[in-house]
Amino acid sequence: MMEEAVVSAAAAPPKAASGWRGVWAFVRASWLNALAVAIVTIVVLMALVGPLLLGNKANAADFSAILQGPSASHWLGTDNVGRDLLARIVAGARISLASAALIVLLAAPFGCALGILAGMVGGWVDEVLMRFTDLFFAFPAFVLAAAIAATLGPSLEHTILAVAIVYWPWYARLARSQVLTLREREFVLAARVSGSSTGGIVVRHMVRNVLPIVAIQMSADAGNAILSISALSFLGLGAQPPTPEWGTMMAGAQDYLQTAWWFLTFPGLTLTFTVLGFNLLGDGLRDWIDPRLRGVLRGGRV
Amino acid sequence: MTGEALLSVRDLVVRFDTPQGEVHAVNGVSLDVGAGETVGLVGESGSGKSVTSLAVMGLLPAPAGRVASGQILFDGTDLIGSPERDLRRLRGKDISMVFQDPMSSLNPVITIGEQVTEILRAHEQVGKADARARAADLLRQVGIPNAEDQLVRFPHQFSGGMRQRVMIAMALALHPRLLIADEPTTALDVTIQAQVLELLVGLTRDLGTALLLISHDLGIMARVARRIAVMYAGFVMETASTVELFANPRHPYTVGLLNSVPAIDDRGKALRPIEGAPPDLEEPPVGCPFAPRCAWRVSSCWTEMPPLRPIGEGTADGSGLEHEAACHNPVTAEEVRGAAPLRPGFVPAPPPAAAATASPEGPA
Repeated sequence: MMEEAVVSAAAAPPKAASGWRGVWAFVRASWLNALAVAIVTIVVLMALVGPLLLGNKANAADFSAILQGPSASHWLGTDNVGRDLLARIVAGARISLASAALIVLLAAPFGCALGILAGMVGGWVDEVLMRFTDLFFAFPAFVLAAAIAATLGPSLEHTILAVAIVYWPWYARLARSQVLTLREREFVLAARVSGSSTGGIVVRHMVRNVLPIVAIQMSADAGNAILSISALSFLGLGAQPPTPEWGTMMAGAQDYLQTAWWFLTFPGLTLTFTVLGFNLLGDGLRDWIDPRLRGVLRGGRV
Repeated sequence: MTGEALLSVRDLVVRFDTPQGEVHAVNGVSLDVGAGETVGLVGESGSGKSVTSLAVMGLLPAPAGRVASGQILFDGTDLIGSPERDLRRLRGKDISMVFQDPMSSLNPVITIGEQVTEILRAHEQVGKADARARAADLLRQVGIPNAEDQLVRFPHQFSGGMRQRVMIAMALALHPRLLIADEPTTALDVTIQAQVLELLVGLTRDLGTALLLISHDLGIMARVARRIAVMYAGFVMETASTVELFANPRHPYTVGLLNSVPAIDDRGKALRPIEGAPPDLEEPPVGCPFAPRCAWRVSSCWTEMPPLRPIGEGTADGSGLEHEAACHNPVTAEEVRGAAPLRPGFVPAPPPAAAATASPEGPA
């Protein structure tokens, strides 16, 4: 009986843990969670209000201030055409976050729809869809994304599409595995006994139960998506200069590593911390919804 | 009987295809439930009670489970072979079901209100406010206090008894003509079992809903069922009115079941378990499945399963309900108390040579 109660609590985060109190409890559970929330908050703020505070200077070249080190007027220095690095990095946050959001919002619904379909229908439909995802897993994801992006032609939009194409199979797998366990649950049988249609069961029972886990996967993937976009842009397949994309900026900064360390270092550090923040957030949330682990974490504090 | 029954299961055979081979879950069950009648289906785990009820709902786990033969007549229509669309319209509206475990039959991430309205929306066009009001009414009907406030709460905020009340509210929401309750109180605390059972029986009586109550608990059956069917290894062994079955059991398995139940006035008397174990359902049934454990067996028990046929000289309670048993050598009234054959010189028939090698437990 006790175990039953724990299992049902697992699928349903207690109502008390929603909203700001939930965020606070999450932050208090571990210092890594706190770090993750701090980093993600800073990056999101950079993207939302940064350009408003700093003005639209990201592409304002100033040939009187080329490759200047960090100073009071340029906190993070300037690049090879005298653009303010801080303004460019802040502008880049918006590009990176928007790209990541687009990627997961393309990949997750598409992958989940196919995964739920495979799990619900089973049989040859399941077989065909899962062998199709195997095709994607057979290639290293990044190489495949690079190949697709190169085929489509270098641009930020094509890169976003390419990364989304290599990400969706993960969501299909995740949703399918959830559906396979959910469809054996008694409440699905109870819904059928009530005369619910398969469509109604998918919407009310499958999607709602799969959603929290998919949301966590999305937050973990956001970090990797940012990294992929920057890496592809660094290789020249993604955003093109003078777009203030972090990877594009780093590509342009390679030649100046000897003479202007800040030019490569600051976009690099920003990218590193951003990816770290999103990955920690994903890991933290994953542990957080596992009530057994949550008990351990809370117990450790008391 | 067949003509007037609301639900009439005729010679139902259900098979499961498993990697280990075919499982013979139900081997020719016949069962009638009249309109408004309360019928009990008793048997131990694996006797085919739940599989029979899932077959009635048309919800045998696909693709492994299938109805191999037989008929399931509901109001004269054979449900086997009916299109899924028709079955779906029937489920919840005409036939509904309550399961054993209220912990797992509610979706943990959806509010109680939404789950109760789900059955309404599956069958009718109802507005949101209307559905909520009706859901609150339903919860009140099953004795849940502050019904409006409870609608926005989640299943884990309810106790087991309350959850089962919610399940009953949902099952009876559309006033079905038949409710199948599969061990509805087994997972509950003993103290609330009686309350929930009373609620279930009271509501079905008020609504005129027929109740097919599935349980292994003879005490529950004695209290609520008008008629009882005893199942063993996928067969119905005996069926009679409740009074008749307890007063005058004729099948050796029923006798064994009744003797294994503790009675309050028999304090200090040792319970008599039924020796041996139920048969392996992966073996196709040959003869009576109870024969290896039976003290009354005769040689034909090993080779031929007797059909369910009228037995005895009438019923003890004068209800006019047929007393039927599937037995070559029924227990006599004198033998019931002793729980052993009393005829001088009677020896249980030894298994034929082929059966002896097939059944490892051999003669008892």
